[in-house]
Amino acid sequence: MAGQAGMIDPTIFEGLQTKIDEDTAVRDELKDIIQALEKSNRNISFVLSRAHSTTVADLPNVLKAVEEPIRNVIETVSKLSHTASKQPYYKFNQMWARQVQDAAFGVLLWAWLGGRDYNGEEAKCGRLLTIEELGEVLKVPVNLKDKDEFHLTIEEYLLALTMLVEELTRLARNAVTLGDYERPLLINQFVKDVFAGFQILNLKNDILRRKSDGLKYRVKDVEDVVYDLSLRNLLPKKSEQ
Amino acid sequence: MFEGFRTELDEHHDRRERIIKASRDITAASKKIIFTLQRVRALGQPVPPFATKGNAHYWEIIEERYKSIAADVQGLNAYRYSTNITGGNQEFMEALSFQHYLETQTLVSYEEAKSRIATMSGEGGAVLLTPEDYILGIFDMVGELMRFSITAMATNGKLPAGKPKKAVKAESDDGDKMDVDEQTPVPGRNEEPRTVLSDLRELRLQLEMLEPSGGRFGSDVRKKADVMRECVDKVEKALYSLTVRGSERPKGWVPDIREERRAEVESY
Repeated sequence: MAGQAGMIDPTIFEGLQTKIDEDTAVRDELKDIIQALEKSNRNISFVLSRAHSTTVADLPNVLKAVEEPIRNVIETVSKLSHTASKQPYYKFNQMWARQVQDAAFGVLLWAWLGGRDYNGEEAKCGRLLTIEELGEVLKVPVNLKDKDEFHLTIEEYLLALTMLVEELTRLARNAVTLGDYERPLLINQFVKDVFAGFQILNLKNDILRRKSDGLKYRVKDVEDVVYDLSLRNLLPKKSEQ
Repeated sequence: MFEGFRTELDEHHDRRERIIKASRDITAASKKIIFTLQRVRALGQPVPPFATKGNAHYWEIIEERYKSIAADVQGLNAYRYSTNITGGNQEFMEALSFQHYLETQTLVSYEEAKSRIATMSGEGGAVLLTPEDYILGIFDMVGELMRFSITAMATNGKLPAGKPKKAVKAESDDGDKMDVDEQTPVPGRNEEPRTVLSDLRELRLQLEMLEPSGGRFGSDVRKKADVMRECVDKVEKALYSLTVRGSERPKGWVPDIREERRAEVESY
């Protein structure tokens, strides 16, 4: 400060500009990876959307087809994880939160359809991955607290879960169209369980709150399907709806 | 599973709210400090006792608030909540840089500001002051300088300037700052010391040269840059009318400007 010429020490702004430029470089690097992730995500949802027009018996074909894009996603996520871990996690978190959610959703749906434990026979639906299992599949840590590195947050997991519920609601109807009267029951139970889980949370007015508010309509949608089925005596015999 | 999530989300929300509250308190206290500082008339010397005494309380509040949230914003959480604390940080920067300017007629540096906050945060670790907070705070400080110089012109009839110590300055002056200094437009009174206006221009130059990254910071900077330009303009206009009309009048006669300028200050 002493002996400084004008009001401003020129190094102040030089230093700041350098910092900003560094951030911009990181941002650009992340952007490329995130775009790649977005593309892989689209591939997953493209393949998995065939599940809506596939009977349980044929589901293995879909599951096989989706393995490739899932591997891509896992690869991209670990690339993202590698790059992002060099930076404070939350500094750029909002850049990829959306895409990571989509990836998480893709994996959740795949697992629900039986993809994770597929043993070569019939696909078994109804499995919900916990956040830890999801992290294992994506090969990233979850819910880190003591380390400032890339990880999957519980918010991202919960948001992916709401996406899963929406997708399953759609599947419930489409299953009926395919003559499958069993899966709606399964979905009904599943959606209710998830909804009950969300009810336990104390949510503030944020995106998670809005999303979970939407869940009750999904529950109702699925219930309507089950109701229609039971009204017409179409439910498999053990039904006690 | 969901019980675990609940606990964590609750912790997250509590932390967030504590931080937002602290940020608000810091903002309020900083604003009051600035009000007091606006009553200061002299440049380049320690602020008068009335200001120091009046503001001590508010600095204490700020310090205490920073201390209270220091633990909440360590490590991973530093950036997680940086959007929640940024308001307070910016306002604090505004107060800090304004006082620093009044006392030394220089701009406080990012590192100084950062270490100042670090000291206030206590042993729990420093509260993060991002370069973005710093820059946005400096933008706001321009507004305070505008008010300061206009009030000074209205009351004293001249632009506040520092003490003449040009001898030291001229040597280490580099290119573009010379330009700024040359423009120093105090006709008839073109003496050695830098005036607030020349400082404002220098600041404007530096801030305009800054190339913000994209995102929210970029749009914030653009918005504040507009306001900043207006502020510099206002001082230039005020000085213009002071020069034009002032020369027709005997020394010390400035009621016209006072009325007009007062109104503008309030509307700001």
